[in-house]
Amino acid sequence: MTIESFLQICGYLVLAAIMAISLYGIVKGRSLIKKLIALTILGDAANALIVYIGFRFGAKYPPVLPSLTPAPEDISWFVSVAVDPVPQCLVITAIVINMAITMFLVFTVIQVYRIYGTTMVKKISRLRG
Amino acid sequence: MMDASYATLAAALQPFIAIAAAFTLPLTSLMVKKKEALDGFALTVLSANFALSLFVFIHLYLVCDKPLVYAFGSWPPPVGIVYEVDRAGALVGSLISGLVLIAAVFSVGYLKGEERVNLYYTLLLGFEAGMLGCVYTGDIFNLFVMLEVMSVAAYCLVAFHREVPEAIEAAVKYAIVGSIATTAYFIAIAFVYGTFGTLNMADLALRLRESYMPISAPFLGNVLLGSALFLALTFWAFSLKAAIAPNHFWLPDAHPAAPSPISALLSGAMVKVSLFALMRYLFTIFGGAVKVAPVVQALNYALILLGGVSALIGSLLMLTQRDLKRLIAYGTIVNVGYIAMGIGLASPSGLTAALFHLVNHAIGKSLLFMASGAFIHVAGARNLDELAGVGKRMPLVSASYLIGALALAGAPPLNCFMSKLLLLVAYLESTWLTPVVVIVVLTSALTLMGYLKAFYHIYARQPAADITSKRLPASMLAPLLVLASLCILLGLTAPLFVEHVVSPATSSLLSVQEYVSAAQSIMRMVSGG
Repeated sequence: MTIESFLQICGYLVLAAIMAISLYGIVKGRSLIKKLIALTILGDAANALIVYIGFRFGAKYPPVLPSLTPAPEDISWFVSVAVDPVPQCLVITAIVINMAITMFLVFTVIQVYRIYGTTMVKKISRLRG
Repeated sequence: MMDASYATLAAALQPFIAIAAAFTLPLTSLMVKKKEALDGFALTVLSANFALSLFVFIHLYLVCDKPLVYAFGSWPPPVGIVYEVDRAGALVGSLISGLVLIAAVFSVGYLKGEERVNLYYTLLLGFEAGMLGCVYTGDIFNLFVMLEVMSVAAYCLVAFHREVPEAIEAAVKYAIVGSIATTAYFIAIAFVYGTFGTLNMADLALRLRESYMPISAPFLGNVLLGSALFLALTFWAFSLKAAIAPNHFWLPDAHPAAPSPISALLSGAMVKVSLFALMRYLFTIFGGAVKVAPVVQALNYALILLGGVSALIGSLLMLTQRDLKRLIAYGTIVNVGYIAMGIGLASPSGLTAALFHLVNHAIGKSLLFMASGAFIHVAGARNLDELAGVGKRMPLVSASYLIGALALAGAPPLNCFMSKLLLLVAYLESTWLTPVVVIVVLTSALTLMGYLKAFYHIYARQPAADITSKRLPASMLAPLLVLASLCILLGLTAPLFVEHVVSPATSSLLSVQEYVSAAQSIMRMVSGG
């Protein structure tokens, strides 16, 4: 096993661990705010995973073609050294969407606080009766 | 050819029109404060969308059955985002836009005296854009984006009565659970992109069958592992969105908490979008691909098992409910179970039953939620005891509630009876799954008891003295009558409807060849080859 593939597997394991911890946080978090934080961590871990899948060892060039009228060998050289730009586009979109959801959740948590005077999940269910 | 390009445009325009109107409406409402003007604006846009979706439907069913492909910005399929509408997509799409239109008509009366009408219609239009986008899209990532558009609008609509504690609590729960599901789908996209190097549905279907479009790169990883991870996460995400047991727990809180026309759309349309996406993945894209056959087979068995469990859980819990809208929401879990069981059979007859039941349940459940909305609007309460006797003052609403209840429980001449019959026949045809029919029959009987218990409370009990006799606006009654007559009509014309509408939709879901070749022909047209 080369050092690159070992490091790559380590990266996947770390991301999987972060996702597991954030899922635990969402399920077990006592306060809605903590659940919300865990949820954003989950979203960011997913984004990092997608960027990671587009990552290549030794790719030094940004995904911009070096010339306006590339010959076929230019393109094949470019494909072998450049980073895949698609995952980054996906992540940009997902970040915007995550922001919308976080905004909504923050607003609803404020509203919960206004109504119940607390954001603790157990107290809310007790107050509701 | 001219006609086909018009129909393609009509398909691609619908989500765009809805989202553009959703952004225009809050700005317009800064100047125009009258509720009638906002009603008129929303109804015009939604009717235009309904007309466009009917045009697409008629084109695909009568003129030409080749799937319509719209390439955004003329980027050819494996590179750019495409919309790809086949007969099944057109059927579900026109069902959705029709239901949204009907719910908007109902909202005109329902929102009288409400202050935030502009926000309501904005969210409703965004909701429609998301649902139509999910159904029409031919791109895996665009499905995620549209799913989020739909979900965010749905979370906000559930929280629309933001001063009501139950509504805001249900919205928090729903939003957290829902965004875990969409994140799971996003992670699934990472696996499918890492394995296949493509995000186009047609290209993915081709690659699973060992050939691919020009431009896109060859395989990158282990096909079986990548597809298994993708399918497992996607299945989990969509089964959560569709409320298939054991992921049904959010539905009985979220659906009743929304305003009644929105409850009708959440149960009638949104759940169906997720089921449709599951059908698209399990049949058009992954179905019949030899390499991943064991995974798809396992998921199909899981659908049968979980569908049966949700039917049982939903019908048993339904009997104990005291809240009218909650009771109806549990009925949704039962019917989602039936549709899942139909999908899981993985045979044309099972899929036909599932699609037909999808249409029937959408109509019947919208009818029930809107009728209960009318009762609640008049009585001002959701509890069955407080609703006692309301129905006697409103014979037409009671009659349509009864029609909807009997239809959903499967009484003979009505529509759901026919689709349940198809489901039973499909199960009896299968070799060793025959005993499952017991679940369908048993849960149908239980749901009938549940709905009739509610009807007994609403209609037969002595009315409480303090019920004010509010009049029901005509805009709330008309949608009920339309939906009730649709229930009867679809029941009476079921053999014709299945033969000419549902079966072609099923075959379009199953024909990978046509789906792929439509995308390839666009590819060739654009690249000039």
